[in-house]
Amino acid sequence: MAKRRAASLGVLGVISVVATLPIPAAAAAPTIITVAAHYNSKQVKPLLDCFRTYEAGHPGTRIKYQQASYSDFLQTILTSRASRSSADIYNIYSVWAPQLISAGALDPPPPDVVSFVKSGYDTAAVDAATLNGRLYGIPTALSIYQLVYNKKLLAAAGFRTAPKTWKDVRRVGAAVTRTNRQGNILVGGFAFGPSAANVVHVFYSQMYAAGVPPYARDLRSTNLKSRAAVQILRQQAELFRDRITSNSISVRDFAAGAVGMAVMANWQKDTLRSAFGDAFEDTVGVAPIPTDGPGGTMFYSFFWSVDSGSRVKRQSWDLLKWLNTAQTAGGLSCTGQMLAGMGDLTGNTRDLAGMERSLADPFSQRYLAALKSRGAMTQPNLWRQAEADRVLQYYIERAWAGTMTPAAALTAADARIQAILDEQPATKGSRSTSRNLKVGAAE
Amino acid sequence: MIEWISSKRVAPYVFIAPVIILGLLFFAVPLSYSAYISLTDWDSMSTPQWVGLKNYSYLLTEDSFFFSSLVNTFYFAFGMMALSVPIALTVAYVISRSRYQEFWRALYWLPMITNTVAVAYIWKFILSDSSGLLNRTLDVLGLPGPNWLTSPSLSMFSVVVVAVWVSLGHNILLFAAGLNDIDESYYEAGKLDGAHPLQMFWHVTIPLLRPTILFVMITNFITALSSFALMLVLTEGGPVRSTTVTGLYLYEMAFADLRLGRASAAAFVLFVLILLISLAQLRLFRRGGVVAY
Repeated sequence: MAKRRAASLGVLGVISVVATLPIPAAAAAPTIITVAAHYNSKQVKPLLDCFRTYEAGHPGTRIKYQQASYSDFLQTILTSRASRSSADIYNIYSVWAPQLISAGALDPPPPDVVSFVKSGYDTAAVDAATLNGRLYGIPTALSIYQLVYNKKLLAAAGFRTAPKTWKDVRRVGAAVTRTNRQGNILVGGFAFGPSAANVVHVFYSQMYAAGVPPYARDLRSTNLKSRAAVQILRQQAELFRDRITSNSISVRDFAAGAVGMAVMANWQKDTLRSAFGDAFEDTVGVAPIPTDGPGGTMFYSFFWSVDSGSRVKRQSWDLLKWLNTAQTAGGLSCTGQMLAGMGDLTGNTRDLAGMERSLADPFSQRYLAALKSRGAMTQPNLWRQAEADRVLQYYIERAWAGTMTPAAALTAADARIQAILDEQPATKGSRSTSRNLKVGAAE
Repeated sequence: MIEWISSKRVAPYVFIAPVIILGLLFFAVPLSYSAYISLTDWDSMSTPQWVGLKNYSYLLTEDSFFFSSLVNTFYFAFGMMALSVPIALTVAYVISRSRYQEFWRALYWLPMITNTVAVAYIWKFILSDSSGLLNRTLDVLGLPGPNWLTSPSLSMFSVVVVAVWVSLGHNILLFAAGLNDIDESYYEAGKLDGAHPLQMFWHVTIPLLRPTILFVMITNFITALSSFALMLVLTEGGPVRSTTVTGLYLYEMAFADLRLGRASAAAFVLFVLILLISLAQLRLFRRGGVVAY
C-alpha cells in the first residue's frame, strides 16, 4: 500500500515539474489579429495582399479576415461580442458609432494614431469618426449622393441635359416613362427604393440641397416639419401620383436600363459599369441633386475601429496605421488601393490625391466635385439612426401611397423620431459636421 | 447502483432525463432569460437596465408599428388557414379516390422540400408587376395586371397565396393519413343509404376527419404566426410595412434597433396571443366532439 502511494506521489511530482517547464510551442504562438468588414473576397483582395506583406515584415503576427454581409454586420459584431469571439478590428458605418461607443465596445485610439488621423484626413471624415470630441477610428470609404441619369433614355425623350430642379425632374421623368397596356411601368422616369437608404438618404440629400439639414445641429430635434421638407415630400409624392414612378420600379432597375433617373451613391459605379459594359460612359450621366435651393447633398462614411475587448489592441492600431499609410512614395495606402478598386472615395487626403488618376472618368469626377463642394454634408451620427430612418421611410411611403398628406406624414415622423432622440443620454450626443472636403497633401 | 438505476421506480426517469435536460437547457432557461430581458432595457452590449412593465405598456399603448404588425400577422395566419385547409382537404380527398396516389402525393410534397428562399424568388418572378409571368398571361387575355407585391392592399394576400402553395404538400399528407384511417364501411353504409359523393364527403369524411382538421389548423396557425422568411424575401416587409409581420418586426427591433428588451416583450405578447387562440380552437373543436389532441 505504502509502495503504491509512494509511486503515485512520484508520478504527481514528475507531472508538477513538467508542468512548470516553459513550453516552446506556446512561446512561439503567433499574435492573431482578426479584421472584420463587409467587403467581399474580390473587393478585399488588395487588402488581403497587404496582410501577407505585413505578416512577412512582422514575424509572429497573423492576420485573419472575416467577411459579414453589410445588412448583418452590426448583428455579427453584437453576437460575436456576446460570445466573446469578436474580431479585433471592424470597419463600421459611422452611424452605428453612438450606440457602440455608448456600450463601451470601441477602443479610443492611442495618441500617435489620433495625430496620424488628424493630420492626414479631411476634417469632415474625421468628425464622422468622432463622438463627444473623441476620435474612435481611422476613416475609410466616403459615399456621396448625386443624381444619376440614363443619357440614352433622356436623349430619346428629347433631353440632352440632366434636370436642375424638381419641376424639371417631373417634366423629364414624364417624357421618359413608358407603361404597358396594363398601365404597369416598363421604364420609370424616376426610381426610389427598395432599401431605406434609397428612400431616406434621397430625402436627406434633397433636404441638404434645399439648404435645410434634416436634423438640428445638436441632433436633439428634427427639421422634418420645415416647409422645405414638406415641399420635397410633396414633389416626390407627385411623381407617384403622375405614374412617373411606382413601388414596382426601384433603383436596382437602373442597371437594367429601365429607369431614367435616380439618386445614387458613388459606390454604385462598379455595378453600373458591369451592367452597361463599354456603353457605361455613353449611358450613365451624373449631375447635382435637383433643387430649387442653394444646392448640396449628403455623404456618409465608414471607419476602421478596434474592439475594446481585443487582447491585441496596440498591435491592431499599429496594423491599421500601416494599412492606411502609403508604402511607396506617391502610392496609395492599402485601404486606398482597395477603395480605388471599387470606385469608392476616401477621407484620406493623400489617398484621395493619389486616386485622381483612377477617378479621372466623368462619373467619378462628378462625385469628386460634389465631395469637394461646400454643399456636401456628412450624415450626422444620430442616436439610433437605423430606427429613425425606418420610421421616416414608413411615413414617406405613406405620403407616396397617398394615405397621408406630406405635412401629416412628416409631422407624425417627427413625433416618433423625437421620442427616439429624447432617449439619448445627455453625454452621448454626437456632433453634426458639415464642410467642404480638402483634397491634397496633409497639412 | 446498476440495479437501482434499472429499477422500475428510477428507470423511466433515467430514460426521459436527456429530454428534460435538453428541454431545460434549450427551452426553459432561454424562456426564463427572455422573460427577464423583456422587463429590461438592453442593447445586448451594456448591462440590462430594469424597467418593469414599460416595454409591454409601450408596445400595447404607443407602438403603432407593433399593432399593425399584429394585424398583418393575424391576416397572414387566418388567411393561410382559411385557404390552405379546405384546398388541402379537397385535394387529399380527390387523391385518395384516384389512381397513382403516391405520385400525386409526391408531386404536392415537392414545394415542401424546396428551400423557402428559392420558392420566394420564383414567386417574385411570377408576381412581378410588368414582367411577371402572371401579369403577362393576364395581358394576353386582355385582363388588367394588378400590383401583386407592390400594392399595400394586395401584397399580403399575395404572400398568403405563396404560403398556401408552400404548405399544401404537408397538409395533404396529413389529410391523406387521416382519410386512410376512415373505415371503408362508413362509405359503404352511405352508399346503401343512397348518399351521393358530396353528401358522403360532408356527412362522413368531415366529421370523422375532425381530429386531423384540428391538428392541421392549429399547426398551420402557429407556424404562420411565427413565420417571416417569405415576407423578408418577397416584399422585405413592404410596401408601407403592409407585410411586416410581428416576427419580422421582432427581428428589426432586436437586431437592427438593438432593443432586445422590447423585442422580448413583443415575443411574449405574441406567445400569449398564440396560446389563447390555440386554446380557443381546442375548445371549439371539443365542443364539436373532438377529444383527441
